[in-house]
Amino acid sequence: MIWTVWRQQRPVFITLATGLVVAAAAILLLRAGMVADLHAGNIVDCVRRSMESCRGEAARDFQKTWYDLIHIAQVVVIVVPALIGVFIGAPLFAREFEQGTHVLAFTQSVSRTRWMATKFLVAAFPALLFVAVLQLLVRSWVNAAGELGPLAGGPYYFTTFEAQGVSPIAYTLFAYTLGVFVGALFKRTLVAITLTLGVFVAVRGALALRREDVVEPIRVLSNDLTDPYAAVERGQVVVGTGFLDAKGAVVADPSAAKTKCVPNAPIEVSVEDRTACWQQNGLARSFRDVLPIDQATTVHLLEASIFAGLAVLFVLGSVWAVRRQV
Amino acid sequence: MNASPVHAESVAKHFGRTRALDDCTFTLPEGSVTGLVGPNGAGKTTLLSLIAGLAKPTSGSISVHGTAVRGRMHPDVSLLTQRRPLYEQFTVREMMRAGAAMNDRWSASRADEMLDLLAGVDKDAQVRTLSAGARTQVAIALALGRLPKVLLLDEPLSDLDPLARDETLRLVMAEVAERGTTVLLSSHLLTDLGDVCDHLLLLDEGRVQVSGDIDEILGDHQIVVGAAGVDLETDGVVVDSSHTARQTTALVRGGSVPSGWQTTHPDLEALVMGYLRASRSRRFARQ
Repeated sequence: MIWTVWRQQRPVFITLATGLVVAAAAILLLRAGMVADLHAGNIVDCVRRSMESCRGEAARDFQKTWYDLIHIAQVVVIVVPALIGVFIGAPLFAREFEQGTHVLAFTQSVSRTRWMATKFLVAAFPALLFVAVLQLLVRSWVNAAGELGPLAGGPYYFTTFEAQGVSPIAYTLFAYTLGVFVGALFKRTLVAITLTLGVFVAVRGALALRREDVVEPIRVLSNDLTDPYAAVERGQVVVGTGFLDAKGAVVADPSAAKTKCVPNAPIEVSVEDRTACWQQNGLARSFRDVLPIDQATTVHLLEASIFAGLAVLFVLGSVWAVRRQV
Repeated sequence: MNASPVHAESVAKHFGRTRALDDCTFTLPEGSVTGLVGPNGAGKTTLLSLIAGLAKPTSGSISVHGTAVRGRMHPDVSLLTQRRPLYEQFTVREMMRAGAAMNDRWSASRADEMLDLLAGVDKDAQVRTLSAGARTQVAIALALGRLPKVLLLDEPLSDLDPLARDETLRLVMAEVAERGTTVLLSSHLLTDLGDVCDHLLLLDEGRVQVSGDIDEILGDHQIVVGAAGVDLETDGVVVDSSHTARQTTALVRGGSVPSGWQTTHPDLEALVMGYLRASRSRRFARQ
């Protein structure tokens, strides 16, 4: 049975294998080229520090050449799950129903459940392997660029978040099972492909927008009233800002205090003068609510478990849809 | 429980409000070749898939060699469906390997034997490149590899040229002669059926109209011809009658020979045609 499914899916597997070889070669070559550039520009140490502490033409030139390319590689990792859902999941049963070949399997002694399970697993395994290897390859490239690449945006930066951890596998499981279910339900490959893509994009988008709501932000305080990023570490996402008064309570309307410090004439006010004026008007300290970096793993797991739950539902739905098929 | 190869007891299958089959009771004897005939939509395909176990009857029961058929493929039954589904990308050899993989009981030599018959099928050819005749041969080989005791063939002869038709029937007959397999085949090609079938199962609107040994059935029916305008007085059942300006022809089941009428026994084709015509006029009368 495994052989039969493997033989049926052979063109897909050849495509996946070819794609992986090409992708691996491209990524490894690009990565090697990038590392050579780091050495040539003498900015190897900037990878572990940051752009700010590494000001200079070499670092800027480096980013101009490489940042977008690395970014594209991350986007590929994000797009691949959708492709797997559309081109492997959706046609898995829809094409059989369309061509009537499910009857061939149904008229042999293999049970429907076993046929279904074998098809489902044999088609899924290479796809998941593909995603995992691609993710690791891209990750190694992203890591090599370090703070000069997308990692400077922190773990919540959308391409970084979605292209690492358990996320790519979770998205793949979701897209694949969604495609399988929709295909088994509607029995038309084209309908299944369209619906899979639509639902996948909608659900992924909706959950990505809610992502930052699930993290409990932490409040960082600073005596620096004027710098909007005071006390914020690199990579932390700022979700709210404000001021505290001398007692430590949040100032409800800080702009009222600020307005009093705007001079009547168009003259330059120094930072020290402005700070002093704000302090006189009740703004003691500034604060920022930021998403803690160490919470990123929790968010990954939380999001992945939602997608895994949906995947389980789709698997059950597929079983139901195939079993009722005559 | 009835130990006949196939026994159906008041089988009904409804799809929503449509009654595909209703109260079908019949028995197929061991080693018989039964022609399943009826107009389009009579429920032939539904009946075959119920016997195979592809679908469950709404009510009633079917047994194959004494064991009940329930909702999954009966191990003793092979079904060749109308579309003859095969994996197009597979070679014939790979198709047979798939057959072996998907069955608990499989005889590669039995399947190969079938492939080698007639002109023989190229085992390295891809299924999609095969002619309709060779395709049917592959499908039958796949069905026989399961070593069935009951072989169900849904329209095995449609879209075959006369030569391929003849050859396909010879393949089936060779199987029956060698293994004593019970065969139920549906077809619209009455002349071909007459050559191979010894039993008949005639369905119309989901009900069994005629079932049994063909010779007995033909002996039980008569075609009577008489002058137009004369009332046909018979204690038999008038299945169908047609009138021309000069004479009346009727197909009568059972009863004695009415006096003053010319009577002959119908051949299979005339019998089935009589029933099909009657079915059509019943349907017209209802509209």
